[in-house]
Amino acid sequence: MLPLYRDAKYTDVPTGDKQDLFDAVKSDMRYSHELYGCYECGICVAACPSARFYDFSPRVFAQTMAREDIHTFYELLNDSVWDCSQCFSCTCCPRQNNPGGIITIMREVAVNTGLQSAKDALRAYSRIIYKVMSTGTQVSPDMLQPDFFPDWGPDVRDVSLNLDVWRRAIPPETLHTVEMAWDVSEKTKLELYMIWKLTGNLEMIESVDEGLFMILEEVMEELLDEHGYDIDDYDCIVGD
Amino acid sequence: MSEKRIMVIGGGPAGLEASRGIVELGYELVLVEHLEELGGSPISADYAALTPDMEDTGVAMARMVDAVVGNENADIRLSSSIASVEGSAPNFRVTVESGGESEVVEVGSIIVATGFKHFDPGRETQRYGYYEFDDVITLIDAERMLKGGGFVRPSTGEPPKTVCFIQCVGSRDRQIGNQWCSKVCCGVATKEAIEIKHLLPECRVIVFYIDMRVYGFWEDQLYWKAQEEHHVNFIRGIISEVTKRGDTVVVKGEDTTMGRPMEVPMDVVILSVGMEPSDGTLAMAEMLGLPLECHGWIETIDGALNTVQTPVDGVFVAGAAAGPADLEDSISMGGAAALKACSFVRRTSLPTI
Repeated sequence: MLPLYRDAKYTDVPTGDKQDLFDAVKSDMRYSHELYGCYECGICVAACPSARFYDFSPRVFAQTMAREDIHTFYELLNDSVWDCSQCFSCTCCPRQNNPGGIITIMREVAVNTGLQSAKDALRAYSRIIYKVMSTGTQVSPDMLQPDFFPDWGPDVRDVSLNLDVWRRAIPPETLHTVEMAWDVSEKTKLELYMIWKLTGNLEMIESVDEGLFMILEEVMEELLDEHGYDIDDYDCIVGD
Repeated sequence: MSEKRIMVIGGGPAGLEASRGIVELGYELVLVEHLEELGGSPISADYAALTPDMEDTGVAMARMVDAVVGNENADIRLSSSIASVEGSAPNFRVTVESGGESEVVEVGSIIVATGFKHFDPGRETQRYGYYEFDDVITLIDAERMLKGGGFVRPSTGEPPKTVCFIQCVGSRDRQIGNQWCSKVCCGVATKEAIEIKHLLPECRVIVFYIDMRVYGFWEDQLYWKAQEEHHVNFIRGIISEVTKRGDTVVVKGEDTTMGRPMEVPMDVVILSVGMEPSDGTLAMAEMLGLPLECHGWIETIDGALNTVQTPVDGVFVAGAAAGPADLEDSISMGGAAALKACSFVRRTSLPTI
């Protein structure tokens, strides 16, 4: 299929494919509690921080889903579904709808089906995903590199030069880390890796960023191997 | 004793409730109905079920009729009309015509419950093609079909795949001269939408509206229910015209909350026609010298604090003769009018010292 128009952000797909994605969102067990009926009153847009800065409207999500408009749904799934900051200010809805929750489900469907928009949106986060999934902590001291934060001024450069020394100056021993935000025990990491694996999170990563998936699998496998677990043997992990 | 007799003109919900009040208070009633059957518009226009609780119209109205018919104080004149009214309260002389014969009936007080008529969508404007296209019908036509237990596309007799309602037809329109909201059409359309979805779950049903006015408990009993349980779509934007493309009618309007124009083919278009004063209401107003309020309905005194008393001594109004009214309004006004009429004849018949 060709792009919808010359500068379209995504290519069109057959209606059946859109319907499948739409049905995947609607069949999520959370869905019936995220959307009741929409007044189209706009209170969610008024409360939405993203709506102030982007061409983004939580109302349009609720409205589109309620109207079962699969073409607009597909448009949203490929574009503005990623403009939400997931702050859930939109839950002020008088009908108790949760447009942010609809977006959560839509994003999961986009990721699970390896939609290009999901790959594009998550590319910028690959370092954070790697950190979270491999260490269980998000922003680590070694991520504070001067190249990435020029607006923080010259101090970042000085600090980053002797990062381990600065970190050792912090009293709690658990913070004497550079590659992690704090010291995460091997047991915790093992549990975390099992969770990623068993909940399908690792598979999800595979569908959006294969390179990242391979690195993560290698890191996880190494630690699991060390402790006698086989990452592909569910029974071995669950049974323990 | 004639000055203690009260006449109710019109045997619809308001007139029936007024009648019940009169006979239950022990006063003599003369109920005049121009049709051959009591029950008013719900019966004569074949409503399938009442809004909002969806009770079968026949069953519900029979309950009202049974409360009056057979009462020893009730003198019911069906297929009868009022030819003239002479005198003043408490000595009205009303000429009632029935089957070519006329009779003068003396009463002490009169309750006008002559109701409304449905707006004729072809009267002022042909923009919706009511008389042009078979698949453009009104709320009443739809009621009649639903009463028959089915819902089909008139041009083919097949079940429709897409149905839409166009709200505020003949209401809220300065061009037409009807500057009022008819109160019930949002609820009735929503009720019919639910009934259609019951019969045809796969049918797409859309309501095009200006404001949804499903007030009070109708909110969740009808509006939420239609949206949440039956996935009826409500789109804010009124249709500018209905045209025909091939065998299908097409509605044209703006989806205002999405900010885009639309043209949608429809199997059936239902016009949510509003209320206008009935011919009987206008005739009674003229005959009794009742002033009309600025919209053209029978005027009452003291605004919101007195919904049934007209400026003419001894004459009261109940139901949609005084303006758009739903069933609850009509029943409440019927009871209030009965009370006021009874206290009026009681007061005027007391011996003066």
